[in-house]
Amino acid sequence: MTTLTFPLSRIEGHAQVVVEVRAGEVAAAYFQATEIRGFEYLMQGVPAEQMPVLVPRICGVCSTAHHVAAVKALESAYGVTPPLRARRLRELLMLGQLIQNQATSLFLFTMPDRLGLASLFQLAADDVPEQVGANIARSALRVRKAGTDLISLVGGQFIHPIKAVVGGMSSGIGEERAAAVQDEIEQILPLACELVEYYIEVSLAMGERLGTLGDDTPAYYIAATGSSAPNFDGDLLRVMNVDGVECDCFPAAAFHNHLIYQDTDYSYAGQTSYQGQVMRANSLARINMTHTMGTPRADVYLKDFRSAFGCPAHAILLFDLARGIELVYALERAAAILAEPFDTTEVTASYTPRDGDGYGLVEAPRGPLVHHYRIEDGLIRAAEFIIPTVHNMLAIEQALRVAARRYVTPERVDLELERAVGRVVRAFDPCIACATH
Amino acid sequence: MRRFAVLQLSGCAGCEVALLNADEWVEQYQLVYMPLVVSAYDVPDVEVLMVSGGVQTDEDLYNLRRAVRCAGQVIAVGTCAISGGVSNLGNRDEVRDVFLMQENRRHVPRLLPKCRPIDMAVSVDVYLPGCPPTPRLFMSALGTAPGYQPVRTVCQECGRRKVKEMRPKHLLGFQYGEVLPDVCLINQGYLCVGSSTRGGCGALCTRPGHPCVGCRGPSDALIEKESDAWFSSIRRVFESMTDVSGEEIDQALRSPQLALFLFQFADYAGVDRPARHKEQMI
Repeated sequence: MTTLTFPLSRIEGHAQVVVEVRAGEVAAAYFQATEIRGFEYLMQGVPAEQMPVLVPRICGVCSTAHHVAAVKALESAYGVTPPLRARRLRELLMLGQLIQNQATSLFLFTMPDRLGLASLFQLAADDVPEQVGANIARSALRVRKAGTDLISLVGGQFIHPIKAVVGGMSSGIGEERAAAVQDEIEQILPLACELVEYYIEVSLAMGERLGTLGDDTPAYYIAATGSSAPNFDGDLLRVMNVDGVECDCFPAAAFHNHLIYQDTDYSYAGQTSYQGQVMRANSLARINMTHTMGTPRADVYLKDFRSAFGCPAHAILLFDLARGIELVYALERAAAILAEPFDTTEVTASYTPRDGDGYGLVEAPRGPLVHHYRIEDGLIRAAEFIIPTVHNMLAIEQALRVAARRYVTPERVDLELERAVGRVVRAFDPCIACATH
Repeated sequence: MRRFAVLQLSGCAGCEVALLNADEWVEQYQLVYMPLVVSAYDVPDVEVLMVSGGVQTDEDLYNLRRAVRCAGQVIAVGTCAISGGVSNLGNRDEVRDVFLMQENRRHVPRLLPKCRPIDMAVSVDVYLPGCPPTPRLFMSALGTAPGYQPVRTVCQECGRRKVKEMRPKHLLGFQYGEVLPDVCLINQGYLCVGSSTRGGCGALCTRPGHPCVGCRGPSDALIEKESDAWFSSIRRVFESMTDVSGEEIDQALRSPQLALFLFQFADYAGVDRPARHKEQMI
């Protein structure tokens, strides 16, 4: 047996892919997380109310999602409902997270694959095709920064935010700074659309060159967003079956009855399935499971996407294109919220801490994220983190097998395999720090 | 163009994300290695090597030792690289037992018995503390923020007003009640350690109302002293500004949450690694 090991880059965290070849045939493909964060252990004994500040440190890329999920888990344990204004501010936080994440995945992680580069920053240094413009790296960073500025405005700081608290937000947003961020987002929107259109163009050209958009086996999809339009503060997880029909819907507290988790002995991350079936989370799941985006520009992109690829769409490189639609949506939606009449109503509700179980659900950029805490004597007795990347593990390995079979023949191993492995993994935009929490 | 590399050990990638927001380096530096955004197999020769994350696995240790050989200057970036950070919580005995249960996995890097700061293994020229350091501090470390002089403590750049008449009798904990917008958090009963924590972050936690947890480590006045000096300086501040008992403060300072950052006390006082001088700190 031959073992091919591929180190990975341009993803969050440390991971590698191992392809096993036996007698010229692909026997298996493994996606291995090679680091461990260990928060389920580290958090035991921590005072429950300090979780919102601690858990962002699981991952610096997804910190906002963990921050909000932690607060929601405590609110569910304490039985407190935050005021509407606070929920609106949290929506802004999640939109900032989405802008930052999708811009990073689109431009910093996957764009170089389309252009045959090792990094987007090479564009600034090397000769680039004229139509790209040497400023593409800078433009991409600017779009990304609109997201982080939004998180800073609402969350206090953009990597490990601090302002979401049990019962609401520790303070509102200043009118002047809010107007400045609104302005920034409105200015960046046309630039983001240009980048997204260019991204779609080079992606489809790459697909044509390769003769495939990757694994398109129908799969189950899971998301916690709304069915008519995106909603990143949802209360229910929804599942769509391989025929594109919504087949299940459940609150975060019931996840054990619907999702099956198993550990692996070759990776520090486990895998979840929907009742034993391969499922997919992240952008393509949300795009497949919504009727509209609810914002004008994003809806145009969605319409084009649907007419080109149908619904549900399955090819994995479409995850990347779906991220483009979501980036535009998040910018439009955030600008619309910031343009509403400035609201200075209450941002906190009072509460009394109590022991018990709490479940917090958010739709993170990578899919549904659940925090489950068991609180005893005000301390965390057990913490469980249900991670979007873990929902995708089986789908990633399936897509890797499909790619490996394309490039491994009894005669030879096509060197394109290494690039294909990178493209497959990046399409799912996995986060290894989160997956190994 | 100067060349720089970022080696990511065991951490959360927050430092790298902060660096991406400090885009001023794009024109002056060529980023040749940083797995988060650059595909490259090895760290090439570079003028500057930034290292983020702690040394938690055998692979971390191997990569670190190899990378520093190609580097002109080594900068330790973030709380994990400097003091183990949040992973250091794993050094509690009961947690280490749970980590050891991971032994049965195949083909993955082995966990070391203890998560260690990078200067336990290699020599470090510059320290850039923070969880994570702000983009501005990154620019300062790369020399792309001319004229930028960080202030000494978080307290000095917070701007909240100290009120003589407000002397709380007990600590509030972390997330209780409404935070008054302009009044010092200590006056309001929060356990804020900004008075002894290294400045330069822009007080971005305390300004919106979250107490400083000390992620930037001890200020210049305390950095070359034993960790006890840091503790007693915080205690003195609370004695002069509040009526909270010394016992209550001591207990709170050693709570697991603050331990997250105050764990670095142990490392700053450490005997088995080189001393860190204030001239090396950013």
